[in-house]
Amino acid sequence: MKKCLSIIAAALMVLGGTGKALSQNIRASYKTDINIVSVNDVHAAIENMPKMAAIVDSLRAIDKDLLVISAGDNRTGNPINDISEDASYPMVALMNQIGFLCSTFGNHEFDSGQEGLARNINESNFPYICANIFADEELGIHTVPYQFYYVKGVKICILGVVEAEFNGIPSTHPNNVKGMKFEQVEETIRKFLYLRNECDVFILLSHIGYDEDVKMAEKFPEFDLIIGGHSHTQIDGGEVHNGVLITQNENKLKKLTHTVLVVENGKVTGKSATNINVKNYPKTSVAAKCLVDYFSDNPEFKRVLAQAEAPFSSYEELGIMMCDALKDFSGADIAYCNAGGVRYEDHPAGDFTVNDVLRLDPFGNTAVVVNVTGKELHDMLIACKSVDDHGFPFSSGMSCEVTYTDKNRSGIKELKLFGPDGKPLNLNKKYKVIANSYAIITSDIPGDDQGEDLSIGTADVLMKYLEKMKKVNYQGRKCLKENF
Amino acid sequence: MIVKVNKEEVRIFKGATAKHAILRYILKKKMEVSALDEMKVFDSQGHKIGDDAPLKEGQSITFKI
Repeated sequence: MKKCLSIIAAALMVLGGTGKALSQNIRASYKTDINIVSVNDVHAAIENMPKMAAIVDSLRAIDKDLLVISAGDNRTGNPINDISEDASYPMVALMNQIGFLCSTFGNHEFDSGQEGLARNINESNFPYICANIFADEELGIHTVPYQFYYVKGVKICILGVVEAEFNGIPSTHPNNVKGMKFEQVEETIRKFLYLRNECDVFILLSHIGYDEDVKMAEKFPEFDLIIGGHSHTQIDGGEVHNGVLITQNENKLKKLTHTVLVVENGKVTGKSATNINVKNYPKTSVAAKCLVDYFSDNPEFKRVLAQAEAPFSSYEELGIMMCDALKDFSGADIAYCNAGGVRYEDHPAGDFTVNDVLRLDPFGNTAVVVNVTGKELHDMLIACKSVDDHGFPFSSGMSCEVTYTDKNRSGIKELKLFGPDGKPLNLNKKYKVIANSYAIITSDIPGDDQGEDLSIGTADVLMKYLEKMKKVNYQGRKCLKENF
Repeated sequence: MIVKVNKEEVRIFKGATAKHAILRYILKKKMEVSALDEMKVFDSQGHKIGDDAPLKEGQSITFKI
């Protein structure tokens, strides 16, 4: 009987595709298990995808109807993926190969801007489900708010949502989401609650963080399952709040969740979830590994961004260029970076490649803007130096004269700051200052404004700057005078 | 924004991650920065979270070495 119903269900799938055309009241009238593998915040950990593929292969051998789902932030966190000529295509290709059913958007899906996102969506063999995004039509960002799936005669509805806490938009650079509007998650869910009566299993695929997932579960017991992401929370198996099962894993695909929903006569009568350790999984999918190897041997790393007209012969020259890039990107008055953030001290004349930038700035720092007075900046630079054995920070838009207490630079006796005109910086004036995230944290900002992350890596900023400049020459450039 | 690390308030920039907040805490406490390499981070309910986890205003985290 069970086999017979499965055949009928399979036939319905063939006739109806994803089932939208068959939205009449079809209900499972027998007991069956729905198996789901879910991941979140993979952040382009493509090195773990072959192991995930092996896990999925093993589970599919047991249940060919296994559903593989992502709760977003598939990208951002690995240059092999993120600076690929077609940014994030490696992740999309691997997700296609594994056979993902769907994904929702994470805030980082927007990091390549509107064009990049539209391209990634078109390249994906699966839909992006997100109900609280409204994109201008000309952007070509094709999403669905929800999707019905028929699995073993069970009608499943997945509703997707993304966080919009950063001034009403997801946490990405505002330019990346121009032409898009985002509705508050709770408001969106209320609009779609009617779907509960049109399916056997109602799933919220969310990228709003664990705390918000719990709140939604408390408010909306209509959901059977919330597959969550964003807060990188490692939930042991799953947690049940107000009858709703919530799952989520730490970032970078260290683990995934295998959820089993028992459906009986059109209702979920049992649910459980377990974690599977991806990183330590003993098997690897050869096919997925081939793809990862292919993408890792990326000619993009050898791409020439600009020509160095003269050699760089000091950390200071390279540091000034990094600061010029930050200043140019943000329109800030002043930029600085910690001395230890410049990772090599010379570079020959000639090609400046993507790989050169990634070696120069390998830490994955992001750009942070803060508005501070000249006096506050003065104190921040001293604090930044105090935890950096490499030396005093480099800068653009100002120069510094620092007098140390000794030759080892262990203490600062006096610091003077000068504007681009060579006159002392006005200590009472407010300046818009940009720096890398590490420098900002170590600078112990004294004022109320602690700054705001611009959601872009400093290495990306430098690449953009070099591409824009085409030719650079920093020979002999100085921003720092040191007295002992 | 203000978050709590091991029950102490730290002020960090908007958009910071758990790692940023813990670095600020470590510097405040004059601990070794190398502690960052060994730490495990937890949310207010004891769930392990990734060190790149985004933080919200008022959030509490703890870390252990």
